Amino acid sequence: MSQWRFHTPDGVADILPDDCARMREIESSIRQVFRRRGFAEIRTPGLEYYDVYATGRGLAPQEDLFKFFDAQGRILALRYDGTVPAARLAATLLRDEAPPLRLSYVEPMFRYGEPGGIRQREFTQAGVELMGAASPEADAEVLCTAMEALRAAGLQDFQVSVGQVAFFKGLREAWGLSAEEADLLSRLIDSKEMVALEEMADRIGLRGDDREALLQMPSLYGSYEVLDRMEALVGNPVSRDALANLRGILEILEDAGQLSAVSVDLGMLRSLDYYTGMIVKGFTYGIGYPILSGGRYDNVVSEFGRTLSSTGFSIGVDRLMSALRRQGSPPAPFRPDVLLGAGPGRAARRAALLWADAARAQGRTVARDVGGLSPDGLRAEAEARGIPEVRYATADGRVEEA
Amino acid sequence: MDRSYLTLALSKGRLADQALELLEAAGIDCRAARVESRRLILEDPDAKLRFIMAKPADVPTYVEYGAADLGVVGKDTLLEEGRQLYEVLNLGFGACRLCVCGPEALQGRLDRIPNKRVATKYPRVARDFFELKKRESVEIIRLNGSVELAPLVGLAEVIVDIVESGRTLKENGLAVLETIAPVSARMVVNRVSMKMKADRIAPLLAAVRAELEVRRSRTEERRHDR
Repeated sequence: MSQWRFHTPDGVADILPDDCARMREIESSIRQVFRRRGFAEIRTPGLEYYDVYATGRGLAPQEDLFKFFDAQGRILALRYDGTVPAARLAATLLRDEAPPLRLSYVEPMFRYGEPGGIRQREFTQAGVELMGAASPEADAEVLCTAMEALRAAGLQDFQVSVGQVAFFKGLREAWGLSAEEADLLSRLIDSKEMVALEEMADRIGLRGDDREALLQMPSLYGSYEVLDRMEALVGNPVSRDALANLRGILEILEDAGQLSAVSVDLGMLRSLDYYTGMIVKGFTYGIGYPILSGGRYDNVVSEFGRTLSSTGFSIGVDRLMSALRRQGSPPAPFRPDVLLGAGPGRAARRAALLWADAARAQGRTVARDVGGLSPDGLRAEAEARGIPEVRYATADGRVEEA
Repeated sequence: MDRSYLTLALSKGRLADQALELLEAAGIDCRAARVESRRLILEDPDAKLRFIMAKPADVPTYVEYGAADLGVVGKDTLLEEGRQLYEVLNLGFGACRLCVCGPEALQGRLDRIPNKRVATKYPRVARDFFELKKRESVEIIRLNGSVELAPLVGLAEVIVDIVESGRTLKENGLAVLETIAPVSARMVVNRVSMKMKADRIAPLLAAVRAELEVRRSRTEERRHDR
């Protein structure tokens, strides 16, 4: 059947020149930030063994992995994220590197799942992993890196929500919830279903400060005052440690002058099996989904046999591009600075080639006419393509503006 | 894109009228949405408020993607669509139940029919209920309306539908066999807007919550007076 010949599969897309240029610019600004802050870039393969993601508790939902078989019948999976391959590396080829490891990547990822809108099946993520450091310093470093990267990419107006999953895990234990109750409760908090939460609080018999703490979790945002408020309500040591950890992180962000875009949100409770401490999501105008997400994952590297408390984030480059576009900064059209033609004969051609080399060495983009156009023809061509400058080399070796 | 605008998606029909009435009672100027018009987007440039009138089933989609910041939609639609949203307020109106219904003769014997055929406008709700909760195999038959017809003509053994008074059921010789979930209108919020437009959304939610509180205490007083 050839009916699909002209189409790309669901969830993937061609990136046209203007967008592609903008994308490479963004990626390169982000890379520079990562490098400047000491994160070394790694490149992991586009294909992994399925087992990499299927270890232990499962580091990715199997429904979301693109799977193939190799010639030996082993299951392969397309790269699903940046963190798990980095964890595999940290525990294998990089096992002799002393912690902390500072790694970064900018790569396309592949995920099944409902396509449509901006949820693509192939999308580029740029992220860092700081492995082998459990301190609030590490989490704050990662958060500062994320914010610097967003700014470098041209995003000015964004907000970063920081949570701490250990806060809820402490409550879960202190209240003696069953796994089912805890699961339901975390989903209700995360989707801010206040009515259902009140019913649930009654059902599990929460009173006084406990009830108050639960009902405030979804709606309390802010800075230190959120921590103060919760410290007054919550007594169990795990949750209190979580609050102290967040306070430490906030203090470092404050010292770095990065507190203004940050807001504490203890009601963010995603992927509780994966994350172990601080979690982060970043938002901006013009796009209904987070553009940044990450957190502390102390139990992931150990799936590969090395214990490294780790933290990191990834930025959705495609989402970032959509946001920038909708915020009124469309990509600049890609066009050369100069269109360069030459008259007949080798002398003119040599002059043109020399001139082009010199101009390109100065960083200008020069497209050379390959159709033997006359000066008039060159001007028409340049006009049609929006190229601002036209040059023409003559047989006597001069290169003139045409 | 004017980021100062707040966009509200309403479910066309009775739910939209009740939502506007509630919002107005909460002190939010909805005159723009009251204009008799066939336009799908109604704007109030002074209040920086924009209303979009959507098919109920599409409201969660508009809000999830951020095309609308807030929405008012029935819990039945939310359950069926399964979108990632903040479901912040139960507005109380539009109250009914999602139920499994069928001939009275099936009362209490539902689990004895293997591979039941279930006709419904809510395939996802029906599948989740039977397969995940009841652990029973079913064949889902998707219909677009007058679902009560299906058991009468032998298309399905039972139906999953919303039941308000139960009159339609009764007149067609059907009965509620099981209740899946209570339903009412909900206020939903996009996950990003909740953060990025908190300065506008938080006061709006607080005002609506206060009005709901007033209504609740009023009904209680009335109950008390009797």
